[in-house]
Parts: sequence; C-alpha cells; structure tokens
Amino acid sequence: MVMSENKKKIWILALRQGLSLIVISVAIALTVNQFRPGGINIVSDWSVEARFKSADDALMVISFEEAGKLFELQEATFIDARSEEQYHQGHIKGALSLPWQSVNDYFIEIADQLDPNKPIITYCDGETCELSHELAVFLKDMGFDNSRVLVNGWSLWLKAGLPVASDSGADNG
Amino acid sequence: MFHIARFFLGGVFIYASYDKIINPDDFARIVFNYQILPHNLVNLAAIILPWIELIVGFCLIIGWWIPGAVVIVTALLIVFISASLFNLARGLDVHCGCFSAGVLETTSARLSILRDTFFLAVSFFLIYMVFWVKKKSGFQSVEFRG
Repeated sequence: MVMSENKKKIWILALRQGLSLIVISVAIALTVNQFRPGGINIVSDWSVEARFKSADDALMVISFEEAGKLFELQEATFIDARSEEQYHQGHIKGALSLPWQSVNDYFIEIADQLDPNKPIITYCDGETCELSHELAVFLKDMGFDNSRVLVNGWSLWLKAGLPVASDSGADNG
Repeated sequence: MFHIARFFLGGVFIYASYDKIINPDDFARIVFNYQILPHNLVNLAAIILPWIELIVGFCLIIGWWIPGAVVIVTALLIVFISASLFNLARGLDVHCGCFSAGVLETTSARLSILRDTFFLAVSFFLIYMVFWVKKKSGFQSVEFRG
C-alpha cells in the first residue's frame, strides 16, 4: 500500500505535534511541581519502611515477630482489610473483617467489638497492598491510636503456619 | 459528530487531570500501586501524566494541533487499558485512579476497562476523521498549521 503524499504529510505533522505537546507538558509539569506548594520529589523512596508512615511520621509498621507475640498473648485485635470474600476464604484466627472498600458500612458493625486500649493490627495480602495501611490510618483518626500495620500479613501468617480460620468453621493450628 | 467527539473526549481528559494535578502525592501512590513502573519513575509519571492529559484535552476542545492531540489521547488510552488489563490478569486489585487521586474511588477494574474502551472507540473515530476523512471534519483549518 502506498501512502499518498498528503497522508504521509499529516502523519508526520501529527507526530511532530504529539512530541511537541509532550515536551510542553513535561516542561510545565516540572516547573509547576517545582514551585507549587505540595509539589512532590521527582524521585522518592517507595520502600516498605518509607511508605508506611502515618502523617505524624510515627512508624506504623509492626514487625511479624511482635504481632505473633501479641497474638499468642491475645493482647491485640487483628483486622482483615481485604474483601469479605477473601476473609471468608481464610483469615488470621480471631480476626475481624473490615474491608477497606466499604469501610464506613463495616466499621459501624464492628466498632463495639474494638477495644480502644488494645493494640489493633491491620493486615492484607502482599507487600504492596495498601488496604491495611489506609485502614490503620482511618482507625487512628477514629480514635484508636494504637493501630499498626502488619505488612504482607496474610502471606507471612500462612507461611509461618500460625493459626488461621475460614468460613467452613474449620480452624487449624 | 466530529466536533461532539472531540469536545467530549477533551472534556473527559481535562476532568480526569484535575484531581491528579491537585493531589500529586495521592496520584503517585496510585501509580505506585499499579506496580508496573520502576520506583524511580513513579513520581515522574505522576507529575507529568496529568499535565499531558490536561494539555491534550485543551487542544481537542480549542481545536489546536488536533492530529497530535488525537494520537496522544489514543496512545494514552491504550496504555491505561493495557495497564488495567495486566493487573486484572495477575489478580492485582488497584484503584484505577482514572478520574481522581482519591483512594476511595470505587470503580471496579472491569468497569474502568469497559469505560476506557468506549473512550478508545471515540478516539479511534477521531483518528479516522482526522487522517482519512479530513476534508469533512473541519480539519482544513489546522492542516497547514505548525
């Protein structure tokens, strides 16, 4: 297929315009970001430790060992931030379900089961899962100051063979 | 029809860029959650992407550089849809961050893919009009510019 001279011209024109638009956008974006309040770093640290800080910069992450100890002593409330479906398929034994997706509905349901004096440990699945972090921040705002995040909680819990429960009622561990 | 389509898509892109420009740190978190870009590029993408959306949106509405804007809009939509499909396929549930940087945006992945596919169809229509039917599209006004 031979492109007509005109057609070729317009594609070249389009590409030139497209590239120019991108260059202009990049220039504006970087300039604005530099001078506006609330601009962000061009490169920032996205490691687990750096990400899981609450607004007041207190490290919110609880180590797996510490969480395991609190579980053993039954001194913490575990909250599953994943969907209800995933919770029913399997969760940390004794954990409450509070899916972040509809946190407002579920929060009212479980609020009276939460003890403000006990540490609350939220978890979801995967190192990058943000649900538990968002949930912990939310719970802090709600007055549960001792809310912590167990990063990658569900996977680590399973791997360690600690007690879990599922919908069928068959607990194990 | 051509003008309706470009006003519509231009409006969608400007609307989509607004909240992300206001809240770059929230949008960066969403870009990060997609788990596609290397960490070093996450913030850069979060800073630049909304501005590209805003500027091509304006171009579509005002009628400047339409051929270039249409190509970028189409490319962006293809990237968005691919990224969502990719994450859907590997079972990663991310907030699409399509129209706002808020984490509570609750559109499901499937729905946002469906919606983006519709936008993509509109942008293909624009491509067709601009590159094949340009005479009827009012394109002559921009053909020999820049």
